[in-house]
Amino acid sequence: MNSLDRAYRGAKGDWQLHLLSVFSVGVAFVCLVATLLVVVNVERVHDRWRHVSRISVYLRSGAEPAAIADLEKALRASSGIGQVRFVSSEAARRELLNDDSTDALAALPEQAFPASLEVETAERLLPERRQRIAAQLKSLPAVESVETYESWGERLGTALVGGVTAAAILALVVLAAVISVVSSTMRLSLQRRRLEVEVLKLVGATDAYVRQPFVLEGASQGACGATLALLLVGLLYGIVRTQLDGHLSGLLGIAPEFLPWFAVLGLIGLGGVLGAAAAQLSLRKLLAV
Amino acid sequence: MVFGTGGRAFRPALRAGNRFDPAAADRPVVVFDEVYKAYRADCPVLRGFSLTIQRGEFVFVTGPSGSGKSTLLRMLYAAEGVDAGRILFLGRDVARLTAESVPYLRRNVGVVFQDFKLVDGWTVSENVAVPLEVLGLPERLVKNRVGEVLERVGLAGRGPDKAGSLSGGERQRVAVARAIVGEPAMLLADEPTGNLDPQLAVDILGLFEDIHETGVTVLFATHDRSLLDIRPRRVVVLDEGRAFDVPQGLDAAALGAA
Repeated sequence: MNSLDRAYRGAKGDWQLHLLSVFSVGVAFVCLVATLLVVVNVERVHDRWRHVSRISVYLRSGAEPAAIADLEKALRASSGIGQVRFVSSEAARRELLNDDSTDALAALPEQAFPASLEVETAERLLPERRQRIAAQLKSLPAVESVETYESWGERLGTALVGGVTAAAILALVVLAAVISVVSSTMRLSLQRRRLEVEVLKLVGATDAYVRQPFVLEGASQGACGATLALLLVGLLYGIVRTQLDGHLSGLLGIAPEFLPWFAVLGLIGLGGVLGAAAAQLSLRKLLAV
Repeated sequence: MVFGTGGRAFRPALRAGNRFDPAAADRPVVVFDEVYKAYRADCPVLRGFSLTIQRGEFVFVTGPSGSGKSTLLRMLYAAEGVDAGRILFLGRDVARLTAESVPYLRRNVGVVFQDFKLVDGWTVSENVAVPLEVLGLPERLVKNRVGEVLERVGLAGRGPDKAGSLSGGERQRVAVARAIVGEPAMLLADEPTGNLDPQLAVDILGLFEDIHETGVTVLFATHDRSLLDIRPRRVVVLDEGRAFDVPQGLDAAALGAA
């Protein structure tokens, strides 16, 4: 009978204890998986905004059509600039207001919807070049202000750093929780199987031989706990996505995605390694017979 | 007989193998040399205990409760330390074995306990197979060997039964089967009949004698005087830390004294 068979026999005998342990580890992992899911999607939004290929040039209310036409022509002739589209004040109002709009929005003054030139830049336009174009545009008399959307990327970047920090802290909490849960389970399991261990030691089993099935059981508890958490969060993600996919895509500019396969495998592996390490550590001093 | 393979493994002076060493057969299996053991400083269990057991002997160890019978046996398989003196098992000092070597010592000793120490949730075969599985023997060999040993202890065909469903006598037979399945150099029995009725106790003693007939050295600890009277055997009496060796059995000693 090899270690796997012995681990299976042990887990089968203590299945309720193991189930409880898997559930507890799963709860700990749910927090980590959920945070990672948020971080991954915020990172994607951040990436989207960082590489945004759009500049909005807001025009003064009294800008001459000829000046605007000259500006449009000059922009088209510049390197790194793609399409340039003039959006009048009325068109801007029409784009924002629709049938569902509230009266408050409809009552906004005309100045709230300035005319603009929507400029599509090349994807690979360097941020420095984009800044220089913006600075040059701002100095023109017909231009009120220029929006490069980089501040949104910076804000998301700050949020991302916070999210990664939160994920790291949660990873530590999960680590402590998994070690604590699996260690307690293993100690309890060892107490319940004290006679089995005693017999093994008396017939000449080494500590490593006695420990092997417990370490395998710990690893399986960690891995199963992580898998359970991924399934739970995946299920919730699926429900949320079904309900809000259109809204989220419109709001964020991207369709939200679940964790990539390597992160899923990494989390399951992390659970397994943590469980095995916890079992190994907790039994180190308890095998003396 | 099985020996360790690692550099720190237990390496007895008597080795099994193809080459016959005539001198090895004459060496004692166990030598207790001035062994001292105390759990409390003012009340030693063994005081300068010395005893030599030759290969193939059957020795009873007797004495009142607390006289140190179990301690003597536990020291032999390194479950207890030795305060002073030496215990040579197959030429190696058990008291000086490293923790890593102890498992290899135990593979050369079969132990039977009063409380059987069987895992009730396992089958009879699983309980008996443990010493062979620890050695990493192939499954088919383990199965064959377990079947042979169960037949030898009178439990042929009971392999698939759960150990928890057996009677006391059967449980002790399973424990004996487990102790001898690895063909140990020595069989230790720590009050193996303590939980059995008198008739079953005699049956189990008979089983030990059958095993002894095959050449296995047996050290049988009991406080049951009636077992010692069944057949004259060498008896070691422990009392108040001292040991009295009666080579021809208690009855012969009593006759001699008369």
